[in-house]
Amino acid sequence: MVKFAHLIPIFPFAAFVINIFFGRRLKKASALIAIAACTASLALSLWTFLGLLKGQGSYPLFDWLIFEDFTLHVGVTIDSLTCAMLLVVTSIGTLIQIYSIGYMSQDPRFSRFFAYLSLFMASMLGLLLADNFLILYMFWEGVGLCSYLLISFWFEKITAAKAGMKAFITTRIGDTGFLIGIFLLFVASRDLSFAGLSHINGNTGLYTAAALLIFCGAIGKSAQFPLHVWLPDAMEGPTPVSALIHAATMVAAGVYLVARCFGLFLTHQPALICVAYVGAITTVLAASIATVNNDIKRILAYSTISQLGFMMLGLGVGGYSAGTFHLMTHAFFKALLFLCAGSVIHSVHIQDIQKMGGIFNKMKVTGTTFIIAGLAISGVPPFSGFWSKDEILTEIFHSGHPALFVAAALTSLLTAFYMFRLIFLVLFGKPRSELHLHESPKTMTIPLIILAVFAIFAGFPGSPLMNNVFQSFIHLEAGHAAQESSPDYFIMGLSTLIALSGIALAYCLYIKQKKILPQAIRSRFAPLYQLLSNKYYFDELYDFLFIKPCGRIAKTLAGFDLGVIDGAVNKTAEIVVILSKIKAWIDTTIVDGAVNLTAKTVGLFSKELRKIQTGSVQAYLLFAFFGLVLMMLFKLIVK
Amino acid sequence: MLHGLLQFLSNHGIPQGLVIQATFYGIAGLTVLFAFLVVMSRDIFHSAVFLVLTLFGVACVYLYLDAEFLAGVQILIYIGAIMTLFIFAIMLTSDAKTRLARKIDLRIALSAGAALAIFAIFLKIIRLDAWQPQTLSPTPLGLTQIGKSLMTDFGLPFEVISLLSLAALVGAIVIGKVEKK
Amino acid sequence: MIPQSHFLIFSAALFAIGIFGVLTRKNAIGILMSIELILNAVNVNLITFNKFLGTPNGLGQIFALFVIAIAAASAVVGLALVIAIYRNAKSILVDKLNLMKW
Repeated sequence: MVKFAHLIPIFPFAAFVINIFFGRRLKKASALIAIAACTASLALSLWTFLGLLKGQGSYPLFDWLIFEDFTLHVGVTIDSLTCAMLLVVTSIGTLIQIYSIGYMSQDPRFSRFFAYLSLFMASMLGLLLADNFLILYMFWEGVGLCSYLLISFWFEKITAAKAGMKAFITTRIGDTGFLIGIFLLFVASRDLSFAGLSHINGNTGLYTAAALLIFCGAIGKSAQFPLHVWLPDAMEGPTPVSALIHAATMVAAGVYLVARCFGLFLTHQPALICVAYVGAITTVLAASIATVNNDIKRILAYSTISQLGFMMLGLGVGGYSAGTFHLMTHAFFKALLFLCAGSVIHSVHIQDIQKMGGIFNKMKVTGTTFIIAGLAISGVPPFSGFWSKDEILTEIFHSGHPALFVAAALTSLLTAFYMFRLIFLVLFGKPRSELHLHESPKTMTIPLIILAVFAIFAGFPGSPLMNNVFQSFIHLEAGHAAQESSPDYFIMGLSTLIALSGIALAYCLYIKQKKILPQAIRSRFAPLYQLLSNKYYFDELYDFLFIKPCGRIAKTLAGFDLGVIDGAVNKTAEIVVILSKIKAWIDTTIVDGAVNLTAKTVGLFSKELRKIQTGSVQAYLLFAFFGLVLMMLFKLIVK
Repeated sequence: MLHGLLQFLSNHGIPQGLVIQATFYGIAGLTVLFAFLVVMSRDIFHSAVFLVLTLFGVACVYLYLDAEFLAGVQILIYIGAIMTLFIFAIMLTSDAKTRLARKIDLRIALSAGAALAIFAIFLKIIRLDAWQPQTLSPTPLGLTQIGKSLMTDFGLPFEVISLLSLAALVGAIVIGKVEKK
Repeated sequence: MIPQSHFLIFSAALFAIGIFGVLTRKNAIGILMSIELILNAVNVNLITFNKFLGTPNGLGQIFALFVIAIAAASAVVGLALVIAIYRNAKSILVDKLNLMKW
């Protein structure tokens, strides 16, 4: 058994080191280094996957933090979940980095961008391979840092800088909960490894609390309600970043975390229900906002939130394989959607979909792949999204929560609607402003095509057409056998119907009667529209609830600072000044006096001794002879 | 030469040892006197003349030490060559004020003290027992013997000395040359 | 015969006189002359010991020869220096040549 999986994150990290130190000199070659590293990781991931099929699993690496009664064993987790995620992350990462060559070609911080991407890849892969909470948390913060760096990559733009901070601080709230959750778990079980999660017992309350707190971390990272506000703003970053980090991989880390701790959630049902409801709220909320937004990237961001909520919902009702399956398919088509959006933005340099239109004619590749991705996310068979969504819907349907099923169905409808609203407004009709369209370069279109292929076919391994191989591959090892789901044709038909009706609705509104109808609806449901277009006033609410009070507290504290602490500091300083004056006096009179006295004494002596130094050779010789005489006398007398 | 002289004196009834002693102490005393005049005379030219006499006296003392060859060398090189050089140098610099009123100042007193102290110490050392002669060399060293020694045992130092002389020659020319500007 | 110690006393006298000259002569040439006196005193010593200690191969005499040769060389160089100094400073009085004085 070859143990090499821990090498997977090393390559991108090496690329990061090279690019961050020698990036200026490497210039465009830095992209090649990053991509080469990523490709190496992909190859190793494939190898690991093949090894897993042959039955090679997790292995320990070394012992860290050895205490008397506790040793942290650091190792590498290799199971189906990790392998699936590894393959998704490395393949999408590679494609997006290739895409970035074209997208970022004009950027002055080109190599810096690839350095950050490499660091992100290293952290993300490390996160996936971690086999205990502590290591996972380290990499968790690593991806958070990269997310911050990349969102505010164009930090000259004030909105980008602020978005970066918002993302960092918002996720930090969740991370704090996560950390406390880890502490609780450690206190309860004295074990931090994931393997230990499946056989914990006792102390239900504590474990439920720990599970909920860990889910807090997932909420922050995966932008779930109520911490979803950072993700739309994160679209200020470069589009490849949005695609890689804020659609396909990092935000999925939250879902991954829940899946990774699924044993814990499964044995503590209240936490699992909480996951389901948070997911349901998020998915409906975000999908509804997406229907009225006009920024191409923000629509996709809300779509991402919605889909992540959908996965959480799937996991929450116990659909482990369904949730992770959707996580995988979603990664492909959402990355594709973002890259298409990036391609469009690269061409037209605006993001307002109301100003676009008719792009399809000029950008065939982008347009076609965009539509494929749209069909996939809407859940039209046989595209990948259909199969995974169908799995989740089936799980929800069988779980016995009608409200959740309604939410899921509503989300499907809304998803299909907003996605095709986006597609119709961007790709079809007449241009609504001056657009200088051109197809993007090859480095951008080729990843699009490859991802489109994935978006079409990635669903098949989990479909009844291939006997649900994915589900049987991914099933929880800890006794939770894959649910033997015979294809539920009712749900399939229903979800297809929902998707098609959503598309039809969008078609009616935006193709048939482009001007009149949407506006009529808008004026008819004005309050609702207002509510939606202001994103349920979440930002304002948070501003009112947290930021303003925090500001006020900060101001009070600042006043306290100025008045009391600074006062104390100033008083101290004054005392110090007085003391120093005393010391200065001592210095000048006593110390300096002593020094001067010494100097003067020496001066006095040397003034006399200087006379010896006559400059006359003979005088010197005379002294020398006296010395000789003395030496000889000494020799004679002592003998 | 000396032996011939001694032979002559003894033939005329004067005892050999007495003659030798008398002449030696006379010559030695005169030589010391001349040496003293060398350092004491105010005129540098007079000093040079007294130095010639002193060197001649020393050459005579060599004869009493059975070193006829060295006595010849002393006269040839010192008096013939080196002193000529001194006198040339004195001539070349004679327009400088060389006559000096000598007054006894502290420096001179101290110098005299140092010289006397060294002399006294030497006397003390000479009177130590360690110097007493062990064996007299049976035959005085002949010129042949010195020549052989110089060419065999001391061949290398001899060559080095010749090299040194050459270097001194070249150096003196370089130092003394008037630089054309 | 004349005892060894008398030669040595003669030599010591020459030496002391030479030293006195070196220390007191103002004239650089005078100093050089005094040095010649000292060297002669040394030679007398060497030859005395050669005679009375019976050194093999005439070591003392040959040494004295070398001393004479070196004395000649040093006198040559010294006098050349004196002349060079005289040319530059118009003086050969050592108490006028006090560039080294503080």
